[in-house]
Amino acid sequence: MNLPARLWDRLPEWTRSIRFRYTLLYSAVLFGLAAVVLAAVYVVLLMALQATPVSSSNRVWCPQLGGPCYNLITFREAERLVNAEILDKLRFYMIGALGVLFVSSLGVGWVVAGRVLAPIGRITAVARDIQATDLSRRIQLPGPEDELKQLADTFDAMLARLDAAFGAQRQFVADASHELRNPLAIIRTNADVALTDPDATPEDLRQAIAVVKRAGDRMSLLVGDLLALARRQQPTLEHEPVDLGAAVAEASDDFVVPAETRDIVLDRAIAPGVVVTGDREALKRVVANLLDNAVRLAPAGSRIRLATGSEDNRAWIAVADEGPGIAPDDQAHVFDRFWRADKARSRSDGGTGLGLAIVRQLVESHGGEVRLHSKVGVGSSFVVWLPITRPAGDLMRA
Amino acid sequence: MRVLVVEDEADLADAVARGLRREGYAVDVAYDGDEALDKAAVNAYDLVCLDLNLPGIDGIEVVRRIRADADAQPPRVLMLTARDRTVDRVIGLDEGADDYLVKPFDFDELKARVRALLRRDAGRSGALLQVGDIELDSARHEARRVGRPLALTPKEFALLHYFMSRAGQVLSQEDLLEHVWDENADPFTNTVRVTVMTLRRKLADAGKGQPIETVVGRGYRLREEP
Repeated sequence: MNLPARLWDRLPEWTRSIRFRYTLLYSAVLFGLAAVVLAAVYVVLLMALQATPVSSSNRVWCPQLGGPCYNLITFREAERLVNAEILDKLRFYMIGALGVLFVSSLGVGWVVAGRVLAPIGRITAVARDIQATDLSRRIQLPGPEDELKQLADTFDAMLARLDAAFGAQRQFVADASHELRNPLAIIRTNADVALTDPDATPEDLRQAIAVVKRAGDRMSLLVGDLLALARRQQPTLEHEPVDLGAAVAEASDDFVVPAETRDIVLDRAIAPGVVVTGDREALKRVVANLLDNAVRLAPAGSRIRLATGSEDNRAWIAVADEGPGIAPDDQAHVFDRFWRADKARSRSDGGTGLGLAIVRQLVESHGGEVRLHSKVGVGSSFVVWLPITRPAGDLMRA
Repeated sequence: MRVLVVEDEADLADAVARGLRREGYAVDVAYDGDEALDKAAVNAYDLVCLDLNLPGIDGIEVVRRIRADADAQPPRVLMLTARDRTVDRVIGLDEGADDYLVKPFDFDELKARVRALLRRDAGRSGALLQVGDIELDSARHEARRVGRPLALTPKEFALLHYFMSRAGQVLSQEDLLEHVWDENADPFTNTVRVTVMTLRRKLADAGKGQPIETVVGRGYRLREEP
């Protein structure tokens, strides 16, 4: 019913409900149908019975002079008269019945609509309550598997997803604030202690500043990594053909010198001509994070192998080190944020605890996966698998 | 007063230790839970500043064991934590920590809390200590005798503080070395005797009589009544 908005505003509140409109519609349809049926019956009767209303006849019979006189009609006339009388009565009762039908259909419609719409009211009330209280609650509509139950179940599924997303977000913020508090405490305490020392020598102050700078560097690394992780919400990644070999080679160039200074050999076996679709910078970051871990944690004098290649319709990047390895129980956690195998080495070694979490996220956003193979005392290797959408040749021509 | 700082962030631990030493406390540092328990087993600390998030043995476990292992009086425990959820603080306090500070903290607040916790042992409520005609204000780092300020070195101040918080008790050289000097002090030098001597001289110069008396064969005692 598309009434003008201003008219709706003038009507009382209850007339704006679906229940009211449903009742009106139900009642109108029922009334209309009944009226049509009755009218049809009436018309058919009207045509079938020849009826004339009682009219004065010109033939008068007076049996006794001075006595009462009677109108004389034929038998046929009498029948028509009776018919007219019946039709009259019939019309009267039909209109009455229609009136009763209309009123009772309004009542029945109101009750039925109320019953049908009751679960919606329940869903609305619970949803409103959940919105105001906590997302861990569910509607859990009882009853058969009907349309409204499906609606409520859909709501519940949506709430579960929202709850999980908010939970993950809260955990992320808690983790991030925890990790940021330590360098902040270092900066603040060192500044406090240095500033309040009346006898501080220039050497003391220089040392305090060096500590503050170190903590500041750590914070900026951490903030950079946190932002990289948080950006996953917006799909800002490019989708373009990337020469995987070239990107990997470029990313690994930055690690040649750090590896040498730690007396680590960096072996590179990069297969040419493998092209994947994705974001070049993101893929370089994947390689850089894996190499950064390996170079920081592998023992001096060991060897790190970096290789790329393709197999079936997938490209792979592998980084293998001869580091301490990761215990089987811990392997499930290495891609978690802020997880560290050895809690003691955590802070001082320059890692943020986010590198592998970023790797997994970037690889998964490329439709790939990253796997860890590790043996304690032997070493670890990380293998990144990426889908190749089209053969290299096509892309070159494209 | 002897303090143990337990914190795996070396830059933070060292700064806290430096700041507390300047306040006259004897401060040792441990960088993980095992080291903390080793040091707590050997030395008698009056207070432990403890980071909850430690590599190896967790901070909560350290509190539990320090309290379980301590013979007579367990040290006061001030938790330093980067976790700001209430539940973490509740666990820490329930396990026997006396107070907590959330990182990053103001160093003045840390000092104030350390003072407050150490005062609890002496059963006092203010920063001001008074024994006889000697007054000591641990917050302002001032000491006076008969209203006359005493020019004390940090070590002498810490020594006087310790004497005053245990007035009337006989304190051996070992007691003093344990609670006023940190682990870097060489137990075989006469540093305790020398510092007690200079403190006594400064006290004697400021007023009548010598409040710190020698108990032959046992140690020293600060007289409660002049």
